[in-house]
Amino acid sequence: MAGPDAWLLAFRSAAVARSAAPGQFLLVRPPDCSRAMLRRPISISDVSGDRVELLFRVAGAGTRSLAGLTPGRVIDIIGPLGSPFDIVPGPVRHIAVAGGIGIAPLRFLLRRIRARRLPVTLCYGCRTKRELVPHCAVDRIVATDNGSCGIRGLVTTALSRAVDSHPGAAVYACGPWPMLRETARICAERGLSCQVSLESRMACGVGACQGCAVKGTGSYLTVCKDGPVFDARTVDWDQEPPT
Amino acid sequence: MSPAAGKRPVDLSVSLAGIRLKNPVIAASGTFGYGTEYDGLAAEFGAVITKTVTLASRPGNAPPRLCETASGMLNSIGLANVGIDAFISGKLPALAGLDTAVIANIAGDRTDEYAALARRLDSAPGIAALEVNISCPNVNQGGSAFGADPAAAAAVTAAVRRVTGLPLIVKLTPNVSDIIPVARAVEAAGADALSLINTLFGMRIDIERRRPALGGVTGGLSGPAILPVALYHVHRAARAVSIPVIGLGGISSACDAIEFMLAGAAAVQIGTATFVEPGTVRAVTAGLEAYCLRHGLARASSITGRLLA
Repeated sequence: MAGPDAWLLAFRSAAVARSAAPGQFLLVRPPDCSRAMLRRPISISDVSGDRVELLFRVAGAGTRSLAGLTPGRVIDIIGPLGSPFDIVPGPVRHIAVAGGIGIAPLRFLLRRIRARRLPVTLCYGCRTKRELVPHCAVDRIVATDNGSCGIRGLVTTALSRAVDSHPGAAVYACGPWPMLRETARICAERGLSCQVSLESRMACGVGACQGCAVKGTGSYLTVCKDGPVFDARTVDWDQEPPT
Repeated sequence: MSPAAGKRPVDLSVSLAGIRLKNPVIAASGTFGYGTEYDGLAAEFGAVITKTVTLASRPGNAPPRLCETASGMLNSIGLANVGIDAFISGKLPALAGLDTAVIANIAGDRTDEYAALARRLDSAPGIAALEVNISCPNVNQGGSAFGADPAAAAAVTAAVRRVTGLPLIVKLTPNVSDIIPVARAVEAAGADALSLINTLFGMRIDIERRRPALGGVTGGLSGPAILPVALYHVHRAARAVSIPVIGLGGISSACDAIEFMLAGAAAVQIGTATFVEPGTVRAVTAGLEAYCLRHGLARASSITGRLLA
């Protein structure tokens, strides 16, 4: 367990560790297939050596089944899948914005940015201090609903301050839709690059079924193949998908 | 060593609607995209049926489009597709290179749209057959309305038959009180084979939001949950017509596939099971072969209709 309702699942896979890029996900088969048949898309949260970490929140039968895995079990995965974050080149500050369990793919991104010795700041929003999940050491601004850690209020308030003190920053975000929408707005207003990681229910995970589509500014976008990481300008932020 | 060592001891190939398939396991339309999304998997199938194509491209239904249910799933994709022009120019060339038979699935709002699609595909290279979708549960017009009415189903079949020499497979809906009149009408109108079943109408509700779980309100139910219903329809239809029946609905193992073949299916389709385990096709073909060996059958096609009593 990594928090009140967050679970960390770690396993060894040299193949996944070698090919995974931050922002990509795995389709994980829930061990109790009588309660959850379809694989669950879970973002890769960290890689070190051949150890791969998945971080997820229990949201239903599938993730509950995954949370019941005990050490030593073998898990059935497909991936890495999807388009990763693109670490923006050039002398810019990289700002990651996490809301709650949205920290999951950003932990891996932070590790890769830090490995390149690039300047990085994490804006991390949670309901309370207890929900904060450990990640590699980076410059950090925390925002909690109750002020139990960092500033009291929204993580996007922290983001506004961060981008104003770092003109030209590149922003990477994952979290609830309203947070992503506000992050996209803040970045668009300042002309900053903004990449967001979206989630959706999935079936195939490879672009075959069109089941995970979200509304883009043009056509529908598949979260599994076109995403899960999108340029924030390509998402129709007025079409909040029910979760 | 027996003389047969090194050779495949069981012939898995089947002939169906005038086409020869290397094995009787087919990728079901809507679950296998345009054939290339699952890297390298197409060649494992005897045939792949592409996602339904319509004359104009369609964006599909509002999300959410998926909802898992007990041993199954609901979908409300809404025939999202690239349209016939982009299908022929952008998707077919890659399909032609695959080591499998390619069957194109078509749908329209009106009978003349089906005919127009068939005419376009008749001259397109690399198409082994057409599967005519008169059974989609997720569109307002056409779709399963054609498949629920024997006269309308026959009219679509006849219209397509008139404009193409390609083998015609007509895909039927289980959302009827009796599938036999539709099956017979379609056969009389010139179909070379039937596929059944498409998904069952279904619905779930998110009780906290008090909204339907699917953006399209209702959807099509697939997966192991529908297998007994599908088998029931295949068993009845196979006895009512003399053209081959392709069975689908919840098949996820060789045992499931053999049940459909014993009930009269000449071939089977794998759909939802590919999402859960892309390698299902391999397990099904291997299991078919093992079953034939165990029962002393030289070819898988002899399983078809061998149900006793």
